[in-house]
Amino acid sequence: MANYFNTLPLREKLNQLGVAEFMDSSEFADGVSALKGKKIVIVGCGAQGLNQGLNLRDSGLDVSYALRKEAIEQKRDSWKNATDNNFTVGTYEELIPTADLVSNLTPDKQHSSVIDAVMPLMKEGATLSYSHGFNIVEEGKQIRKDITVIMIAPKCPGSEVRAEYLRGFGVPTLIAVHPENDPQGKGLAEAKAYCVGTGGHKAGVLRSSFVAEVKSDLMGEQTILCGLLQTGSILSFDKMIEKGIEPGYASKLVQYGVEVITEALKQGGITAMMDRLSNIAKIKAFEVSEELKNIMRPLFQKHQDDIMSGEFSRTMMEDWANGDKNLLGWRAATGETAFEKTPAGDVKIGEQEYFDHAVFMVAYIKAGVELAFETMVEAGIKPESAYYESLHETPLIANTIARKKLFEMNRVISDTAEYGCYLFDHACKPLLANFMTTVDTDIIGKNFNEGKDLAVDNQQLIAVNEAIRTHPVEKVGAVLRKAMTAMKAIKTV
Amino acid sequence: MINPVVHISHLGLQYASTIILNQLDWQILQGEHWVIGGKSGSGKSALGKALAGLEKTSGHIQYFFNTSAPLPARALYVSNWYQFTNLEGDRNFYYQQRYNKQQRNDTLTVYAELMHYSKEEDLLFEEVEKYLGLFDFIDFRNTQLIELSSGEHKKLQLVKALWLKPQLLIIDEPYTGLDQASRKKLNQFLEELAQQGVHLVLITNDHDLPNCINRFAELHHGQLKPQSSQHDFSQDAVRSRKPLPYFLQEEVKGVTDTLVEMQHIRVRYGEKEVLKNINWTVRAGEKWLLQGHNGSGKSTLLSLINGDHPQAYANQIYLFGSKRGSGESIWEIKERLGIISPELHWYFDRTAKVWQAIASGLYDSIGLFRQLSYQDQQKVNQLLDFFELTPFKDRLLNTLPLGKQRLALLARTIIKNPPLLILDEPCQGLDDAQTTHFNAVVDELCSFGKTLIYVGHYETQLPHCLEHKIVLEKGEVKTIEKIAEPV
Repeated sequence: MANYFNTLPLREKLNQLGVAEFMDSSEFADGVSALKGKKIVIVGCGAQGLNQGLNLRDSGLDVSYALRKEAIEQKRDSWKNATDNNFTVGTYEELIPTADLVSNLTPDKQHSSVIDAVMPLMKEGATLSYSHGFNIVEEGKQIRKDITVIMIAPKCPGSEVRAEYLRGFGVPTLIAVHPENDPQGKGLAEAKAYCVGTGGHKAGVLRSSFVAEVKSDLMGEQTILCGLLQTGSILSFDKMIEKGIEPGYASKLVQYGVEVITEALKQGGITAMMDRLSNIAKIKAFEVSEELKNIMRPLFQKHQDDIMSGEFSRTMMEDWANGDKNLLGWRAATGETAFEKTPAGDVKIGEQEYFDHAVFMVAYIKAGVELAFETMVEAGIKPESAYYESLHETPLIANTIARKKLFEMNRVISDTAEYGCYLFDHACKPLLANFMTTVDTDIIGKNFNEGKDLAVDNQQLIAVNEAIRTHPVEKVGAVLRKAMTAMKAIKTV
Repeated sequence: MINPVVHISHLGLQYASTIILNQLDWQILQGEHWVIGGKSGSGKSALGKALAGLEKTSGHIQYFFNTSAPLPARALYVSNWYQFTNLEGDRNFYYQQRYNKQQRNDTLTVYAELMHYSKEEDLLFEEVEKYLGLFDFIDFRNTQLIELSSGEHKKLQLVKALWLKPQLLIIDEPYTGLDQASRKKLNQFLEELAQQGVHLVLITNDHDLPNCINRFAELHHGQLKPQSSQHDFSQDAVRSRKPLPYFLQEEVKGVTDTLVEMQHIRVRYGEKEVLKNINWTVRAGEKWLLQGHNGSGKSTLLSLINGDHPQAYANQIYLFGSKRGSGESIWEIKERLGIISPELHWYFDRTAKVWQAIASGLYDSIGLFRQLSYQDQQKVNQLLDFFELTPFKDRLLNTLPLGKQRLALLARTIIKNPPLLILDEPCQGLDDAQTTHFNAVVDELCSFGKTLIYVGHYETQLPHCLEHKIVLEKGEVKTIEKIAEPV
């Protein structure tokens, strides 16, 4: 199989990378009708599989689960998930031939073998859907020409997909139709109906392409989302220990700090996050982040280049073939870091303290979000796609760190993300070694404002605010966030 | 001279610009056991927390604990609402999550939770057995915290407090959500504790108290006013009768004869059977009372009706004339019923303001995501007026006194004038006057052809309109009967 993206002429590469159309809610007026009465068979019943299925069924659709024979016989978790919730469960042979739509929600690594097993069983003219395009784009999987291939990618963990649906809302979602596989022209209608079934249409839907989704998703998860948060957590913690901050405090400041800081990011972008700092701290954070951006930019560019050329997926698939040797080794090493092994102390840290005592972390996250966004857009990815894969997902990942540190983050994210995360982390730490020697506890561990005159130069503050607020990620973010919360202020007369 | 246990002088507490406690003086002497009552919103919970040192107050609190006694020399405040966390200390659960089964142990089991608590507080694990047994909690050892019903969570909290036996035990609304049998047992335990040297402070307007209670006071304008008994506490003013907004007087149209029909209902989680062979029919216009002990399966039964339970798909359930799982969406079901329950309240959007909370009932969403038409806005305003909530419309729902929060949630459930109302312990945590008020409104609402399913424990505190009764016991129907006398 050849990397699909690399088989395309440049014109078509740019064309597919550039698909990013933010859809109007009126486009979902038909609801789930395109899938009503059709048989949906989901392959795999992990977090995405189960929760998407629960939502689709609660939207009035016919959902069942096809699992491998061994999973059924051994009553594995996927079997329990499906049967405990009263879904029909059967083997591929039993269910796939009856399916009008087969939804492949297994882990990336299994896609090729799953498709090999499932495709011959699918009926003529059926639809195959994915939540991630790696298999189609990077592995270059060829799908039978009569089959329609679509993607519905909720930009949230599975549990969130369910929780938001049940409260009458949804999570932002990317949808796409594979241009090589839309023989009947029904792909978009079915993708939209599926998206309504999971509740995604209420939170903003981006029409994307398989190519745009994969190239931006890989970039986001390797750099800002996982790699950068891992590096930032470890560097911050090690610095505090080096400078004599109490380990329990340092551990807690990092573990929960990333969540508190990125919550502001979620609500109001980088502007809101920076505005939580005092004026002098904001100016300091701005300066630090500019410096960090200069140092890290070549690394971000290398990641994007390797993703675009297929070099990243080639080396990762080699590791798959090698029994995940690298991945497992790196995972074990992460479990041994001092940050991971130091439990959060039983100290109270106020919400504002997480900002005031971690100016470095704020600067670092700002640098990461902006760099990831800038690098993606430079490479031909549209700002809307770049936003979802950088700023939007950062708080979601930070939330996993707050729960159980890096171990938890790396457990929750896909193996693909985890692999890229370690690559980034291993390259980034040496890159920042010199810079870190200049960092002291005023920007990580202690209150930056303490003992300082809080006065600032008006001109300087205005310039810094201007630079923060007019960054392109802030412009596109303002539009997309509005759709996401949809909580327009309602006049109460 | 009798020595004090706690000496409080000039205690002050302010939330933003509102004064909660105002130069409050209080002494709890050896051998005294207090009940604190008073109107809702008077600051009773704040006083309870302050007494345990959990609020940032001005003034002085001095404890004179007996450091040589075997009981822990400390004060413990048991909150009026439960909280639990998952293994990672996260409290981020969603409404009805307990019905969606997933093979990951997100929360601790009851057993593990108690084990953890015994280590933390240095308690003997054997001693907890007694409390578990008497609260019918033995079977729950391997149940995950998230699977417990609201009444069971309350019991777990109480079990921990009784087990710890702190020298000063403050319980906020101890009886909320407990069935009659559990209340009785709780009072017995509290009396035992008092004999062993625990000093009790109960925050409640309830009348059935442990015999050891010997001091009464109510909180009024931020200060304590002594009373001679629980019967002297002042109650919230009786509400003036107002006509129901016109849109709620309209007969609900297009209703099928049978709203709910359940045949041989079974719900099981692994080996545990939660509902067994339930048969139940609710016809249009009927008013049902649903009763049963904590954990008897009431909330699970209701979740099958309101579309929240995945196992509804594997059962013979007909709702509003069509079979469950025949292509309807849960939103089409929710459109036709209004529900209020302790769980819904617990998981309700913390950022919701009163106005938005009521408006969200039009879409059955938790949180408001749409613009309202002028007509719908008027409905919200009429309901605010009817429930006397207009002055609070821009306040955060969860900053209102509990009674007012419940009224706002009732307004939310009726705003779309649904044919079926499901009120699952709507008066939990409310005092007598508030309960009477709430039930009067329910009676009024139901006089216009609505169908009602009402869950409540005490015969004395029910709406008058109820005419049928179904009682569950351990997941089975114990009785179905007509209520002879209007309750």
